[in-house]
Amino acid sequence: MRDASGDLRALELLRVQRSRLADRMRPPRWYLTGVAILWALTFACPFSWRYLPRGVPTWPILAAALAVACLLQWGLARATGIAVGIQNLRYRPGRPARIAMLVVWLAGSETEVFLIRRGLLVAAIAVAALAVVAEMACQQAALRAIRHDLRAGGGAA
Amino acid sequence: MTAKPDPLIHPITRLSICGLLAAGADWVEFAALRDAAGISDSVLSKQSRVLEDAGYVEVRKGAIGRRPRTWFRLTAEGRQAVEGHLAWLAQLEEAVSASTRDAQQARPVPSDRDQPRRVLPPLLGST
Repeated sequence: MRDASGDLRALELLRVQRSRLADRMRPPRWYLTGVAILWALTFACPFSWRYLPRGVPTWPILAAALAVACLLQWGLARATGIAVGIQNLRYRPGRPARIAMLVVWLAGSETEVFLIRRGLLVAAIAVAALAVVAEMACQQAALRAIRHDLRAGGGAA
Repeated sequence: MTAKPDPLIHPITRLSICGLLAAGADWVEFAALRDAAGISDSVLSKQSRVLEDAGYVEVRKGAIGRRPRTWFRLTAEGRQAVEGHLAWLAQLEEAVSASTRDAQQARPVPSDRDQPRRVLPPLLGST
C-alpha cells in the first residue's frame, strides 16, 4: 500500500485524467450540423401539415427524425468513445437543458401552427428559425453539463 | 455507501480505470480510457481483465468493419467499491489538509520584538 501522500497524488492524478476524459466529450461538426438539420426538419412539420396535399401522412417524417436522432447519438458515442445514458430518464446531467428542449419544441410548434392558421407565414418562419437556434443552444448546454459531470466525477469524489 | 479502501482498486492504474469509469459515463471505449488514463494498451488489457475477473467491470466487444472495439463499464458491485474507495481517499485528503492547517496555526507568529534589525535601520537612518 502507498503512504498518504501517494494516495493524495493518485487522487490528484485521477482529477487530471477525468478532465482529459471530459475534454474528449466534444461533439464533431457533423454531429452539430446533423442536430441542426434534424431540428429544422422537425420545425418544418407544421408547414407540411398546412401546405402538403391532404392525405399525405407526416408521421413518417417524425419517425425518420427520431431514427436520425438515435443514429446521431450512436455516432457521437463512436466518435468520442464515451456513451452517456441520455436515453435513461434518471440520467441527471443536462436534464434541465433536455427539459428546455422539450418545452421549446412544444412552444415553437404550437406558435407556428397558430401563425400559419392566421396566414402569417413570415412570422412562422422566423419563429421556426428562432426555435432551431434555441434548440441548438439547449443542446450545447446539455453537452456542457455532461462534460462538467465527467470532470467532477459524476458525484463520486 | 461506506468509505473504505479496496485493495483491488488501490493500485494506481486500477484506480485510474475505475475512477474514470465511475465519472458519469455509461460505457467508455478502450482508446478513450487508455488516452485519458495515459497508459499503454497492454497495461489497460491486463488490468481490465483483473477487474473483469473480480466482477467490477463489464466488457462488451464489437467491431466496426475490421476494427475491433471494446467498451467498458462498471458493474453495480464495482461502482459501490469505487465509490467507497474514493470516499475513503476524500476523507484522507480532508484529514491531511486539516492537519496541515493545524500545524500552520500552531506555528508561532514572530513579533516585532523578535525582529529589531528590521525595525531599527529606518529609524537609525532618519537621524
